[in-house]
Amino acid sequence: MIFRVARLTSLLLACAAQLAQAQRLPSEPIALADGRVTVSGDVTAGYGREDPGFFNYTDYEHSALRMFRVDVAAAVKAGPHFTVLGEIRTENLGAVQPYALFLRIRPWTTRDFDIQVGRVPPTFGAFARRTYANDNPLIGYPLGYQYLTTLRPDALPASADELLAKRGGGWLVHYTLGNPSFDPGVPLVSAFRWDTGVQAHATVGMLSAAAAVTSGTVSNPLFTDDNHGRQIATRVELRPVVGLILGTSFARGPFVSQSAAEAAVGDANVPDFTQTAWGADTEYSRDHYLLRFEAIVSRWVLPNEPAPAPLVTLQMPLTAVSLSTEGRYKLRPDFYLAARYDRLGFSDETATVGTLPWDAVVNRVEVGGGYSIQRNLLLKASFQYDHREGGRLQSLAYLPAVQLVFWF
Amino acid sequence: MEDTPRTQRARTAFRGRPGRLVWVWTLALLTFVSVVFIRPQKPLNAARPGAIRGRVELRRPAAPAERRPSVADLGTPVARDMPDLLRSVVYLESAPRGAFDTNESGHAVMDQRNETFVPHVLAITTGTTVDFPNSDKFYHNVFSLSKTRQFDLGRYAAGNSRPVRFDRAGIVRVFCDIHSHMNAYIIVFSHPFFAMTDAEGHYRIENVPPGTYGVIAWNEGTLSETRPITVPDGGIAEADFTVR
Repeated sequence: MIFRVARLTSLLLACAAQLAQAQRLPSEPIALADGRVTVSGDVTAGYGREDPGFFNYTDYEHSALRMFRVDVAAAVKAGPHFTVLGEIRTENLGAVQPYALFLRIRPWTTRDFDIQVGRVPPTFGAFARRTYANDNPLIGYPLGYQYLTTLRPDALPASADELLAKRGGGWLVHYTLGNPSFDPGVPLVSAFRWDTGVQAHATVGMLSAAAAVTSGTVSNPLFTDDNHGRQIATRVELRPVVGLILGTSFARGPFVSQSAAEAAVGDANVPDFTQTAWGADTEYSRDHYLLRFEAIVSRWVLPNEPAPAPLVTLQMPLTAVSLSTEGRYKLRPDFYLAARYDRLGFSDETATVGTLPWDAVVNRVEVGGGYSIQRNLLLKASFQYDHREGGRLQSLAYLPAVQLVFWF
Repeated sequence: MEDTPRTQRARTAFRGRPGRLVWVWTLALLTFVSVVFIRPQKPLNAARPGAIRGRVELRRPAAPAERRPSVADLGTPVARDMPDLLRSVVYLESAPRGAFDTNESGHAVMDQRNETFVPHVLAITTGTTVDFPNSDKFYHNVFSLSKTRQFDLGRYAAGNSRPVRFDRAGIVRVFCDIHSHMNAYIIVFSHPFFAMTDAEGHYRIENVPPGTYGVIAWNEGTLSETRPITVPDGGIAEADFTVR
């Protein structure tokens, strides 16, 4: 397998070098109508070892290590106060998904204050706004934003025993309450789907803050509401010195869909079944290095009607904690090295089999680097080690991967 | 300490013939005086340098690089300056004889101000060191992947500056790793016969020895056709160009 990846790396490198030499690939966004319309694109082609443990599957059901992704983003300026921004995306040549579409309003051109309405960028956390491949020094994503837990908003476990039986199987899970079909679970925070609602953002000096009211939750952003509830999300960012960013985030909203809640408890008060998330992140960069740290704590409250004996009733809340730290160092103008460590932990839940974390704890180490063939053509290679403490799926994975990134 | 055979031979030589030492010192003194105090006189019939002047007209000026749509941002990005893309560089395709006799290592500055490199185009000679001060309140990361000169200055804060020396002739494209719309050109010449145009497109190349040269105008990566220009003795040659 290593040889196959190495062969593919050299093939990708040769193709990219040919491309770079044969023609000048566009390196700037396309501007139309005197700069009022700008269009940019990101094309990512990645290939890695098969991932039978489903460590890298995203909520679009594709492995992040084996993905061909095309993003096209556009901004249309309609005067100094209004801009329409949108982005469409396709993964593995599948259906084109509208990823973002919103109106940005700047009421006062002299003040750093904006209102965004529509399918808006994530308010919560730091990583969700840099998912473009050229912003991500490695190929994989932080676990907290990508790894699929066993929780679903539209299907619910009837007991602690049923929940613990699904440990480690979040890539495809089903429960007895609610939607009976097999579907993926949710990550702590989704980096790949954006929520719909209204968002306000302001910056004063070294402090910037954002708040949003949206129809989904951070783990389950929605285009159309499924529970008549609204999520409130906030983020405060402090830049005390150049190069240092300190951020905190908070989000709370009804998580369980109306239909699932009714299936579990009949005449349910859906707003009681919430996801609450807290985040803290920091970034420091200087000279040729960049360090990032991000922690997320997510707490779900699901319906927990008494389970029939001998099964054990679910104890709420269900908590998950994600820790992620990454670093990048540029060795040469065209070459950098990067590494990331992730840990995703879960609170204990007691069932007839004993007391266990409600989902299997996962650790991930990824190391790699990137070589710039030209300014906007980057070849990345990485090696990922994943370990899952429990579950029925493969618990260990060694995943080499390569990725070619082109952007304009 | 014992003398080495070579020292002994030298002592014997000077002891035996003291007049030789006087001659050596006299010769050294004369050489020093002639080098330091006597300047070479220009021949009376030497050719006087001339100049080339004219104007570069841009048919369709280049558009500045736009920001990438800030779809993932929570608000509007800060306002920035627009680079001056109207400046062109006019230069001799081949240098006159003697152009490389003096190669002074100069200094130039390319500032980073309001997310723009200022100036957008910098024309320098080989051996020049360019300083890249950061005049913004946030980081920039100046780098180039050009074959003429690869460098990456890393991230440094406002008020700081980092230098890069350019020893090879060629075109260097300069970018910021953080702000993808920031770009600039540094054009490194191995001779001093070049000039930047002013805001109206006028230029003047001074001190060109009389002769016939190929002259080219450059703007934002586009070259004019090479024009043969004859510089008269002590006179001025005119040449206008149209680019793009």
